[in-house]
Amino acid sequence: MKVSTIFSTLLVGTVLLFTSCTPEEEVLKEGSLQLIFDNRVGNTEIAITSDTDTNFPYTSPMNQMFNITKLGYYVSRVELTGPNGESYVDKVTTGPMDEDVNGFYHVQEKDVNSQLVTLENVPSGTYDELTFTLGVEADAVQQGATGGPLDPANGGWLWNWDAGYIGWAMEGRSPSSPAVAGPFNKDNSVKLHIGGWKEIAGNTAMTNNVKRITLKFPSSVEVGEGLTPSAHLHMDLLVALGAHASGHSGHGGSHMHHQVDFSTEYSVHSPAAGKDIGENLEGAFEVHHVHQ
Amino acid sequence: MINYRVFKASLAIYWLGAFTLVTLTGCIKDIPNEATNPYFFEKPVGFPEPTYTFYNNELTEDGFKLGKKLFFDPMLSIDGTVSCGSCHIQSTAFADQQLHHISVGVQNRVGIRNALPLFNLAFYKEFFWDGGVTHLDFVPINAIESPFEMDETLLGVLEKLRLSKEYPALYEKAFGTTTINTGLTMDALAQFMNRMISANSKYDQSLKGEVELTEKEQRGLQLFNEHCENCHSGILFTNQEYHNNGISTVFPDSGRALISANNMDIGKFRVPSLRNIDRTSPYMHNAKFQTLEEVLEHYANGVQQSATLDSRLILPNGTLGIPLNPQQQADIIAFLKTLTDFDFINDPLFFKD
Repeated sequence: MKVSTIFSTLLVGTVLLFTSCTPEEEVLKEGSLQLIFDNRVGNTEIAITSDTDTNFPYTSPMNQMFNITKLGYYVSRVELTGPNGESYVDKVTTGPMDEDVNGFYHVQEKDVNSQLVTLENVPSGTYDELTFTLGVEADAVQQGATGGPLDPANGGWLWNWDAGYIGWAMEGRSPSSPAVAGPFNKDNSVKLHIGGWKEIAGNTAMTNNVKRITLKFPSSVEVGEGLTPSAHLHMDLLVALGAHASGHSGHGGSHMHHQVDFSTEYSVHSPAAGKDIGENLEGAFEVHHVHQ
Repeated sequence: MINYRVFKASLAIYWLGAFTLVTLTGCIKDIPNEATNPYFFEKPVGFPEPTYTFYNNELTEDGFKLGKKLFFDPMLSIDGTVSCGSCHIQSTAFADQQLHHISVGVQNRVGIRNALPLFNLAFYKEFFWDGGVTHLDFVPINAIESPFEMDETLLGVLEKLRLSKEYPALYEKAFGTTTINTGLTMDALAQFMNRMISANSKYDQSLKGEVELTEKEQRGLQLFNEHCENCHSGILFTNQEYHNNGISTVFPDSGRALISANNMDIGKFRVPSLRNIDRTSPYMHNAKFQTLEEVLEHYANGVQQSATLDSRLILPNGTLGIPLNPQQQADIIAFLKTLTDFDFINDPLFFKD
């Protein structure tokens, strides 16, 4: 048995014991809330295509055509809060077995199921704000090899040379990207891998691209027994590539966006190279609407 | 409908009971000692606290044995020719054999860096010459996936292990499950490597008063403390930092800067431990030197200027290097040879079964 499990068991045990000592207290009621991650290019739904496709249905903020062969990201350490002090913190655990791993969601455009994240055991109440980590934080990386969506042999996005996880990635092709193949890229390919979780004291060049993102719901939802609320999120690739966000909440208005130019920025494979896109990503998410 | 209060109370009692049981078991369990059971991790006297996350991967006999089998199994490489043990050999403190300038992988492919020795890994905060890996569990993945080492994929390795006749039972023994996955495989390898502790060199014995260093070795120790200890510091003989020690003026392999993205780190490489240094020739990240004599000669007379050269290698009068005459160099080498841990490099615990 893992020590961390023992501690959490003790903690849970103690909390429950404490709770059960208060006979006056109302029975704790819980419900669930589903997060739906919908990735888009502006207002357009995304269709993933193959490596060899030479159709380029999308246009970047730099007016460069492109297509998408891969798109996804990690969402972790999810929290919900409400106007009356409601609070839900998603359980986050790591470990070698898939069942040891909780609270890490690898949202991938190619897999519809991965875009649906159901938060269970949410205390009943009103919720109007979501906070999550885009990427995988130091605490988790430093637990060592782990399973589930973080397992590199099972589709997890682990960088081995600078060990840690790619938090967000987009791959595709663009006629604006060089036609000559480079060491990391095929013809006309675009590969944007945003990772990096370390900070080194005194070194501003070292980039931590893990982002903590807080989003207001456009209207609040009720969570409780028998209710099936959901929050429908949009991740706008155009914002990640430098377009201005449409002015929704959770996005700093004065932030200057870095516009990605596929003719030069087509191969991003290190923390420092991903810094600008990482900053764009802070504004790329919104809770577009909720369903009660 | 379940009465939640009753349900919770009984759960609480159950959990409390489980915890008490665990605590109690922990108390009455025999404290292992090396004479009867070598399969446990013990911090040597004077060593810092380990950095490894033993709380999520405790060292056990069956885990160690599985890790050892994996370490010596060429199945980990794409064509079944190269194991971890091919380039990490016990007689050279788990560095590569001395004839290999740079390690040789599958298809006789040659990499770019000198394989580091393996010992006292449980105490390191970062791994490899550039420190890109911060947890021992992730270290083997680099060797498995590097095109000039094993050139295999993690999934490829796991699929071979799953199909083998022996491994599922060994995972069951070590971890209580026949599941073969990344986490357990890396845990087993880490258990084997974490047990590689080197702390019984002649120097260590002299600290314990068991032996005395010769006069020459003592002179060397004094000179070492004056001139080398700043970087090769402490009981681990490394400050675990990255420095440019002047072995070149240009750095096609930019070293630490690959990880830190800082131009001021170009040409900086990990300060290696000097334990077992007499066994781990060649020296430096690019295997530039074959002998300790060449290394000391470098520090005395061969240090080259570059933008990131460590300031400790620049004397107040502007000359480069560490002022050491041939006698002093020989004395330091005599001391360095006291850092060889013959018990470690001959310990049958690590022999291939």
